[in-house]
Amino acid sequence: MRRLRLRYSAALAAALIGVAACGGGGGGAAAPDAAAAGPPQSGGELTVLENVTFAGGWPTGLDPATSTTGGANVTQLSAIYGGLFRLAADDDGSNARVEPHQAETFELLDEGRTVRLKIRPDLTFSDGTPFDAEAVAFNFTRAVASPCTCNPRWPLAENGITVVDPQTVELRFSRPYAAVINSFPVSNTNWIVSPTALQQQGEDQFKITPVGAGPFTVVENQLSSLLVLQRNPTYFRQGLPYLDKLTFQSIGGDQPAYQALLAGQAQAYEGLSTTPLLEAAQQQGALTVTAQPPTSPYVIQLNTKAAPFDDPRAREAIYAATDFEAISQGLFRGLYPVSQTFTGPGGLFHQEKVEGYPAHDVERAKQLVGELGGLEVKLGTLRSYVAEQVMTALQTQWQEAGITVSTETYELSTLVQQFNSNQWQSMLQTAGAWDPASGVGVAFRFRSDSPFSGVADPELDQLLDSAAATVDQAERARLYAEAGKRISDNAYAPFGLAFAAASLATEGVYGPGLTTKIPPIVVNTGILWDEVWRAAPQ
Amino acid sequence: MTVPTATPAGTAPSDPRDDRAPGRLATVLASPGTRLVGKRVLLAVPIVVGVSILTFWVLNLIPGNAAQQLLGPEATAEQVRALEQELGLDQPGYVRYLDWLGAAVTGDLGTSLVSRQPVTALLGERLAVTGELVGLAFLVSLGLAVPVALLAAYRPGRMFDRVSMLVSITGLSVANYVLALLLVLLFAVELALFPAIGFVPLSQSVAGNLHSMALPVAAISFPLFCFYTRFLRGDLVDQLQGEDYITTARAKGIGPGQVLLRHAFRNSSFGLITVVGLNLGTLIGGTVIVEQIFALPGIGQLMLQAVNTRDFVVVQACVLVFAVVAVLANLVADLLYAVLDPRIRYGSR
Repeated sequence: MRRLRLRYSAALAAALIGVAACGGGGGGAAAPDAAAAGPPQSGGELTVLENVTFAGGWPTGLDPATSTTGGANVTQLSAIYGGLFRLAADDDGSNARVEPHQAETFELLDEGRTVRLKIRPDLTFSDGTPFDAEAVAFNFTRAVASPCTCNPRWPLAENGITVVDPQTVELRFSRPYAAVINSFPVSNTNWIVSPTALQQQGEDQFKITPVGAGPFTVVENQLSSLLVLQRNPTYFRQGLPYLDKLTFQSIGGDQPAYQALLAGQAQAYEGLSTTPLLEAAQQQGALTVTAQPPTSPYVIQLNTKAAPFDDPRAREAIYAATDFEAISQGLFRGLYPVSQTFTGPGGLFHQEKVEGYPAHDVERAKQLVGELGGLEVKLGTLRSYVAEQVMTALQTQWQEAGITVSTETYELSTLVQQFNSNQWQSMLQTAGAWDPASGVGVAFRFRSDSPFSGVADPELDQLLDSAAATVDQAERARLYAEAGKRISDNAYAPFGLAFAAASLATEGVYGPGLTTKIPPIVVNTGILWDEVWRAAPQ
Repeated sequence: MTVPTATPAGTAPSDPRDDRAPGRLATVLASPGTRLVGKRVLLAVPIVVGVSILTFWVLNLIPGNAAQQLLGPEATAEQVRALEQELGLDQPGYVRYLDWLGAAVTGDLGTSLVSRQPVTALLGERLAVTGELVGLAFLVSLGLAVPVALLAAYRPGRMFDRVSMLVSITGLSVANYVLALLLVLLFAVELALFPAIGFVPLSQSVAGNLHSMALPVAAISFPLFCFYTRFLRGDLVDQLQGEDYITTARAKGIGPGQVLLRHAFRNSSFGLITVVGLNLGTLIGGTVIVEQIFALPGIGQLMLQAVNTRDFVVVQACVLVFAVVAVLANLVADLLYAVLDPRIRYGSR
């Protein structure tokens, strides 16, 4: 045991000074066998760490209608509110599907223009008040007007939210919107608050001590620092949650989080993205490392509305100069698969290859650069470990093809400024989601009317709109394949590594999305907290 | 021992019927110490206001504002404008600053743009954590640095001196965030002696509190200890080797220990006090990083989050607290000079 500790301390020290752990690669600690640990056990507490720059920040509180970081705080919101729907998958991440949770059933009517939701009977909020269609309609109305980045953006018809009966709510849209159900788990409409508690507490207090009908209730909430929850005895799923207490603790980054887990101060961490630490954790075997199936690949957005990428030859030169396979193998030991379109292996409608996708060809790139009389490019990305590594590698590859490249790392605000001023040339970003139509999906990066798109192509807009509207899944897949081919044929944006953050858990902790795979619906995986459990110490 | 008193026994000095009281008050007000404090306090006001203006100006230079940060990249320009209006961010900078300043002088530090919680409440929760961290770091670093420096200076060039200087140089070469992570690795992961994260309030358990603060305090105080040790030891050696008053003291037959403690150290402590006062800024900077690593709910953590969300009201308040603390620390340093050196007292008269 002592030797094992020394081994992982040595590897940790290597990671501390920036040296990637060497050896194997790609393997990883075997997923713990929950079945071998016996049936799930009730009781115990769990502390989960969240990176303060993403899920560990909830500066505007946890009322889904007033929180502006709800997209990052899905994990806390699902623990408190449960959710009308949730994304589940088989243990290996396959067969992912959005399932009704507090909703009992749903119907898509009128070719996707109407959605009818039936709420489970006899549901109550943790304050004892009824969780019925009236409560759901009240929440939907608040959510639509929310400033949250996760507000639903439904194409609602006038008076489009109606209560049909005490258990049924109907949504009517001005155009077909079949992707509505798949969008629920990442939207603030998924989290239903108690209208009575909201009224009693007032909005300012409610966002600190929110009341829902999820598996846990709030005991203590220090914004962006500490959230202590306890078991909700009135939770509708019999015998769940397993845990008595769940604590979310913000922490300053992957490294301190990893060390805190090794020191036994916490039992889980969501969102590990520092690859050397991921590899160290996989090789040492002290923690369960669950690399989630990626859904949102990196993409090099090219601004086709301005020089130099308004010239298709410049875009083709970038495609020809880019070799994401080499980056994946060289920098990340093949940990992250390479995509040719806006879907990842864990997402819906994924296709590995796009017919006619421009291949890596340095000579062709040089030839195009020569035809253009030289090519100067400014490449930017948001500050993050993986993105910055990829950007540096791209700079090297492009320079080999004779392209002059300057790079810039942005904070969110400066990135937004670049897009708004249309001064940008190329940006390394992520695109897509588990369902390309949900969350910050593909339209955000490619639709003509998005301020964060470098493309103005009405035909592509039509394809993306039709894919989001269509009920038939096979037809949606065909439309998205066509959209991917159109992006490739016009050399709008080369796609790259499909990256997803990993979850870490200490020994004896089990749970869906934590120690099994569930594709991230946008960024982090939605852990099903009611089913997370801890084995009693031997 | 008889303590001389200015008032006859049995007469309360604050007795309003005592016609000598105003005279005594005038004496106290006219005393060099009071005048020194008064001067420094008057100087502190423009310093604090200047710091707040500078902070406000710098925050305005950073691209983006709270509205944009809150709404994220998906927000439309209209949504951002609407929220800017709601938060008052559409007002000119000087108007927003003067509004803030006007409220601040009455003790109202405003409401967070992001959480909509009163800033005084947010600070109140966290002040105790950072205050304890800074206080303990000072105590530990000075408490260790002074004896080590004295011992090293007592016999310069010997083994203890060499080892202490080696440790000091090593400590000064390591950034405190690296040191923090290494401390966790050794004392939390490897030896399991201290917790890697978390904070136990004093009200909950004194022992638990000190246990939870051990590594954060060590991470902050070790570089300070190294700096103070190196500084004080160097100054002491200079004093002992080159000053006439030391030669005189030795000529009088005073023992080397007494010379070191009562003469050299007394003189060297001026420099140390200056350095300690000036180092407060570094110490506060250290808390911002260390609170992140150890997940301590202090002001440093709050300020970093507020900077990230461009919550200038909270940032202003945090900087104000830090500025006031820095000014107070320097005031205490000035007063200590006066206590230690009669020339300063006389000079202020």
